[in-house]
Amino acid sequence: MLAQQLANGLLLGSTYALIALGLTLVLGVFDKLNIAHGDVFMFGAFAGVAAASFGAPLILAVIAGLVTSAAINVLVERSCFYPLRNAHFLAPMLSTIAFGILLQNVATQIWGSDPSRYPNIEAVTQYEVGGILLSSIHVIILVISFSVMLSVDIVIYRTKLGRALRATAIDPEVAGLLGVNTKNVVLVTFLVAGALAGIAGVLTAVVYSQITPLIGIRLGLIGMVAMVIGGLGNLRGAMIGGILIGLVQVLNDAYLDASYRDLIVFSLFFGFIVLKPAGLFPQPSGNRS
Amino acid sequence: MSMYMEGILTQMGVNILMAYSAYIILATGQLSLGNAGFMAIGAFCSGYFTVRLGMPLPIALIIAAFTSSAVGIALGIPVLRLHGFFLVLGTLGFGETVRAFFINFEPTGGAYGMRGLFGTTFEMVLITVFVVTVGLWAIEKSRIGRAFDAIASDEYAAQGIGINIRAIKVMAFGIGAFIAGLAGGLSAHHLLYIEPGNFSFLVSAMAVLFVILGGMQTFWGAMLGAIIFSLLPEMLRFMDEWRLSVYGAALIILMILRPNGLLSRIFLRGLVVRLKR
Repeated sequence: MLAQQLANGLLLGSTYALIALGLTLVLGVFDKLNIAHGDVFMFGAFAGVAAASFGAPLILAVIAGLVTSAAINVLVERSCFYPLRNAHFLAPMLSTIAFGILLQNVATQIWGSDPSRYPNIEAVTQYEVGGILLSSIHVIILVISFSVMLSVDIVIYRTKLGRALRATAIDPEVAGLLGVNTKNVVLVTFLVAGALAGIAGVLTAVVYSQITPLIGIRLGLIGMVAMVIGGLGNLRGAMIGGILIGLVQVLNDAYLDASYRDLIVFSLFFGFIVLKPAGLFPQPSGNRS
Repeated sequence: MSMYMEGILTQMGVNILMAYSAYIILATGQLSLGNAGFMAIGAFCSGYFTVRLGMPLPIALIIAAFTSSAVGIALGIPVLRLHGFFLVLGTLGFGETVRAFFINFEPTGGAYGMRGLFGTTFEMVLITVFVVTVGLWAIEKSRIGRAFDAIASDEYAAQGIGINIRAIKVMAFGIGAFIAGLAGGLSAHHLLYIEPGNFSFLVSAMAVLFVILGGMQTFWGAMLGAIIFSLLPEMLRFMDEWRLSVYGAALIILMILRPNGLLSRIFLRGLVVRLKR
């Protein structure tokens, strides 16, 4: 029973981790909070569902979501962050809220406000491993999300691009002097963050089979909770934070009442910010405001 | 006045109050993205008093506003040491916690909310907005207003000249929560039916957006922002179902064109000088 719940929590948490990872990338590299991130996620989910309803297999649906969300996230950068780069730090953040409103309403116009469903996936086999029941689709989702997380981790900590990203995060000016094209770094950051949100969106649509234009608001908030619990700006922390929240939610639903779900998650969030703002895994470089 | 106009103007009044509640906190160099939480406290608290206890609305409103204010002060203290994104996320977390609390709070109907709330008249909203505006004007002209300014422009210098910044910052949260509580109570008794979902993070965000777009240097900016952006969705009615999308796009474009808001103090002072000539 407990093992089954932990497996479910891992599944749920892995999508949260992908959302938190994108948010943290933008905040870490660019020092800006993208509140429309949840809505970018939602758009990716719908793009995936649309692709699937045309008969695309899961992997193509994921790619459709990835591409759509990455493109939209670059649009967010171009319309909310770039023009306001010299304004008060609140201005771009509030602008992304307006962008979120725009995305929610455009999605409502295209796909309607009733829940959309991801088409049933055929040929699902159930595996039983040590008393845990997992469908093949859940295994595929876990494989996709964990391999995505692993590759982001490798790119950030092991490659030249990752080094450029981390240098920009610490000091954009010095990074620029040392030959990093910081403009491209920002663009790449938004592309990757959007792509991660898109993947998470499609995977969420597959697991829960229902999505609405407003799911992005709540999932964006949960991404922020994961980001804070993991330590603001800490990528690995954000991933662990996401998985922890997934586990907390599933355990709450199993052993307490499902209606306490948000109360527990958001009290944790508020408690962390007030009592332990550095999170579970404080970012050592200390460049956070 | 037609029912339609009255509805729009009442909503506008509530929006002005919400903008004020965001403004007073911004005026001390802080920020709250959780004012929907105060609004929810005002709404459910006053609703409980009128519906369950049969109290007259004005008295229920005032008790609810004081309750909200007490919570605001209680929030203001731990939030004192937060800056930048931590302040943004902390207040946001507070608002969501309040919403989640009311989902589980049975005396006010839990997730289903309360019904049978009524009694908000247009005159009541008008009087409240007027009184709060005069109050803000008095604050802005007083020593406290100058202390607000000093803290917003340089916290350490303000402390250096003997301003008790902790007290002033907490006070700003108390006043902001009071005003948001009033807005919540008035709006609840206008809508007839409320549920925790009405007080989402988007409501807090819009309140801050009104102030930023109107101009955050004076409370007139907050008022102007709330008026314009309450009327804009109505003016866009001809766009039919696309109007909210256009509304979102308009907000983004305005932010690009006037990132510091429509009204500034220099502009206002210039206006007064020109009028006196």
